Amino acid sequence: MTPGQERVYCPVCQAEFRFADGWAEGSSVICPICGQRLVLRRDGARWVGDRADPMTEKEMRERAENFARLRGYRFSDVKEEIIEGLLGKQKLFGDFYCPCRMLHTPEYQCPCKPTRGGDVDRDGRCYCGFFWK
Amino acid sequence: MDKDVKVYALSTCPYCRRTKRFLDEHKVPYVATDVDLLDDEKQDDILEEVEKLSGRRSFPVVIVGDEVIVGHDEEKLRKVLGL
Repeated sequence: MTPGQERVYCPVCQAEFRFADGWAEGSSVICPICGQRLVLRRDGARWVGDRADPMTEKEMRERAENFARLRGYRFSDVKEEIIEGLLGKQKLFGDFYCPCRMLHTPEYQCPCKPTRGGDVDRDGRCYCGFFWK
Repeated sequence: MDKDVKVYALSTCPYCRRTKRFLDEHKVPYVATDVDLLDDEKQDDILEEVEKLSGRRSFPVVIVGDEVIVGHDEEKLRKVLGL
């Protein structure tokens, strides 16, 4: 497979994105879909990104900031309260799930699948009011 | 205000906290349940009740007599509670 056709699997958004020129085992990259920082690892025939600083406030804040920057979104005055809620979710349910819902599956890892799918562009904000257009 | 006030909330939801804070600030007595902290069986019962009352599983839900307020809505709370 030529480098341009290779893909990297992101364990946060459970999707694959294009492997770029210059990347190698151990490279630190940002998932262009969810904003997660990943460290590249070869896993058999495919590339996998391991979460950098997993389960830490640093990881969650960086992911949210990256996602907002990649999409051109902004935060509202509820930002810090939502971050507090995300930390609560991680403590209670094991990961940074949407603090405004009772759903603890990978699709609802922040930024949740509806948000990654364009809810903010359509509605002007995500379900939680964390990301705004 | 002689009607019982019930709040269904999530412990992690900032809007639920704002609703509880609003009620506290206005000295409205209420019974709050953090649905995410209940055991599974109780949680299912309350989620079904919330869905029946509001048509969805969104939080917070404030119940004042026959009135059901979904989401943090200070204007509606003032109106329903006569504040």
